Amino acid sequence: MQTLQLLWSGVAQGMIYALVAFGYNITFSTSRTLNFSLGNILMVGGVVGYVLYMTQGHPFLYPVAGVIAVGAVTGLVLHKVAVEPSLRTRSQHAWILATLAFGIILKNAAEVFWSTDDFKMRSPLGDAPLRLLGHRAADGSVQGGLGIYPQEILIIAVSLAIVAGVEFLKRRTLLGKAVVAVSEDKETASLMGVDQKKVILGSFALSAAIAAVGGLLVAPITLVSATMGTVLGVKAYSASIIGGLESGLGAVVGGLVIGLSEALTARFVSTGYKDIPGFAFLILLLLFKPSGLFGKAAIRKV
Amino acid sequence: MRRLWPLLLPLPLLLPVLVESPYYVHGLACRIMIYTLLVASLDLVVGYIGDVSIGHAGFFAIGAYTVAMLTATPEVNPDSSVAFFPQLPFLVALAAGVLLAALAGFVLAFPALRSSGPYLAVITIAYGLIVYTFINEQERFTNGTKGVTLLPLRAFGVDLSGNHFVWVVYPFLALVLYGLHNLGRSFWGRAFEAIKHSSVAASCCGISRPYYKIWAFVISAAVAGLAGGLFAQLDAYIAPNTFSYNLSVEFLIALIFGGVRSILGNLVGVSVFVVLPDVFSAFADYRLMVYGALLLVVLFFLPAGIAGLVRRALAPFTRKDLEAERAALEDASRGLAVLPEPPPPGAAAAPSLALDGVTMRFGGLTAVNGLSFEVAPGKVRGLIGPNGSGKSTTVNLLTGLYVPTSGGISFRGRALGRLPPHERARAGMARTFQNLQLFGDLTALENVLVGLHASFHCKLWQVALRTPAARREERALRARAYALLRFVGLERSAFELARNLPYGQARLLEIARALALAPRLLLLDEPAAGLTGGEIEAMSALVGRIKAAGIAVLLIEHHMDMVMAVSDEVTVLDFGKKIAEGAPRAVQDDPAVQEAYLGKHASAIGRFEPPTDEAGTVRA
Repeated sequence: MQTLQLLWSGVAQGMIYALVAFGYNITFSTSRTLNFSLGNILMVGGVVGYVLYMTQGHPFLYPVAGVIAVGAVTGLVLHKVAVEPSLRTRSQHAWILATLAFGIILKNAAEVFWSTDDFKMRSPLGDAPLRLLGHRAADGSVQGGLGIYPQEILIIAVSLAIVAGVEFLKRRTLLGKAVVAVSEDKETASLMGVDQKKVILGSFALSAAIAAVGGLLVAPITLVSATMGTVLGVKAYSASIIGGLESGLGAVVGGLVIGLSEALTARFVSTGYKDIPGFAFLILLLLFKPSGLFGKAAIRKV
Repeated sequence: MRRLWPLLLPLPLLLPVLVESPYYVHGLACRIMIYTLLVASLDLVVGYIGDVSIGHAGFFAIGAYTVAMLTATPEVNPDSSVAFFPQLPFLVALAAGVLLAALAGFVLAFPALRSSGPYLAVITIAYGLIVYTFINEQERFTNGTKGVTLLPLRAFGVDLSGNHFVWVVYPFLALVLYGLHNLGRSFWGRAFEAIKHSSVAASCCGISRPYYKIWAFVISAAVAGLAGGLFAQLDAYIAPNTFSYNLSVEFLIALIFGGVRSILGNLVGVSVFVVLPDVFSAFADYRLMVYGALLLVVLFFLPAGIAGLVRRALAPFTRKDLEAERAALEDASRGLAVLPEPPPPGAAAAPSLALDGVTMRFGGLTAVNGLSFEVAPGKVRGLIGPNGSGKSTTVNLLTGLYVPTSGGISFRGRALGRLPPHERARAGMARTFQNLQLFGDLTALENVLVGLHASFHCKLWQVALRTPAARREERALRARAYALLRFVGLERSAFELARNLPYGQARLLEIARALALAPRLLLLDEPAAGLTGGEIEAMSALVGRIKAAGIAVLLIEHHMDMVMAVSDEVTVLDFGKKIAEGAPRAVQDDPAVQEAYLGKHASAIGRFEPPTDEAGTVRA
């Protein structure tokens, strides 16, 4: 029973990684760049959600709309000030540093203008775990069994819905095909009338909005703080690389690999070591499969 | 300025005597020196090799913890959970720290050989976090989050802690920076630059990418480990939270901010990061925001960082007399033989190159089908065919970028099998590229020096210390490179950056670089593409001179006039198959050849061409 409990929370945590990993994939597939500040955009989502929901006490719909809007705008700004100028320089990896720098600015700004403390956020679905498969005690409450937080159900459901929804749009709609076309061959796509600039800009907005929603989702099961995105962003990045940068399924699998390995290591080894197996797996995987589990193997270009 | 160096160099050693304040000497000077070592180590991987590492805190931590755990005593660490204190002398512990870090660099180099960009970045992050976790958790070895206290350093009765620590740090700093600087300006540095710019072109110059990449990681890790070892002794106390992911990120920023491949840049980047927050302590809270913004500005407007800005400002004062240097090279290279002696007339020569039924398939597409031909020394074989007929694939097969699906290639009587490109280049097989693959940030002379890579024999330590042998070798080969430039008529452009050369000169430079390998076979992949009529004639004459030296030439070309003029024999490909072979005239009149080029009814519409990128590699 305890193992089941463990797997459940590993899956919930893993789905957050998967969601943000999916965000990395989105910009990579349109522009061949990753947004290394995605973890900090997640933090912005968490903070904005916290302020609207807890500090100002608005109904939950407000933070949802606010977080999506703030996330999307942050993504657009990031593209304008960090990514686009990077691609104009001769340096090949300028975008890695530029997006890292943007993330650092976001984090420091949150510390300076908001707070350096940790805050507990209430789940809109309540913070009492649902008890499954337990036994009824004399006072009528359910004891033992599987404790499932409603927020965890929300995380899994919303994450899966977003990933599946975006993948569906990508495959079945004209807009989605335009995006795929841009990712395959920018020049031909523009010749066919696809405005690749808009597609890329849109991908940054979408990816950042998704990450921000991730922040709102994860806030009630962790704590809200200016630093909440750093490690989470790195792990989600690992998840997207494990899965292979262009695969939606890969993002989910990668997220689950990291989430579950964390939960299992924390339980059977020690919490201190919970990150090790995931990272070690990542290094070994790339040694043998340089494009991740579901990535397309590219023929080495001359 | 040059004469003043020996006087200026020891000055920092006087700091502890001149300045009393521990804040400036111990707190700032020593810290800057140690961090500069760390940034310089990062520079080797990021600046020279072009890989982004976000895990150098890991090497730094390995050095620091090795020194701390090997020198600490139980007396200064009461209530520690550490099982055993070896209590070794500082220098022994430092050497151990450097070695362990180097070993970690060696291990990390292997995934780095297969990955690059965002994939490699995540590997370095993962590595850094793994080390961080271990120093946090392995209490029996590292005392965990409580940290470790070291003994204050003493040697020969002299106190080396506090301000006096400069005497320990500075000699290491000066020596390592000197070594790295020399390395960067030697054939090692050129090999790094070549690999960074185009690993294919580098391997075709005889440079082994794995070898240099592994060495770069090992040296970089060793220097970072050294910095860590010194850092442990700086405050005689270390704790894990120093060595977090943030450290790796901040030092990466410091490096880019200051400017890569520059000691000055390393120093500036670190100084701004260490000094400014201290000077403006009110500013400490906003520090990262300001740094982030500064980094963006530098990235977009100062690609060479602050050091680049300084260099540009100083340029009028430091300009070297290039005309004098050229005159010296002209002198030194006078009478140097560039090409091998032509073989005696009548000497029957075995073929340099022989293809025997070579076939290459990409999935369902057969790019080259059962191809056989030979090229003899001192002969030019033209290889022609319509677009997509398999010419570029043939070149890639010959140079070892592809391994044939079936059939064999032998070079000077030796079967090539899976011999990697750089070994083939070293064996005497040189090539030029259809789309130019020059090293744009190197001068014309340096490009030829990259071609001469295999002629450099000095050891790593000789290069790092710039021993007389290393200087002699560099001087001699510079003269040889100059002679090669003169051979193709480019000596006037010797100090021009390759990317600024006009097209025709760039083509000639590629030939000079290829000839630097002292090749027995030269593969010319469309050398006349984009040239004007006059330039094509000059190119034909050049090919004639190369052939006269007994070098076998395989010429792939679309300009029929040139092919017909310089080839001894021509092989015609169509759809990967040989459709004709023979003397130029005979081939030209062959009906099969005319049909391949013009179509049966002069309709060449609908020819299939596989998607190729610039270098002619089939894309997945």
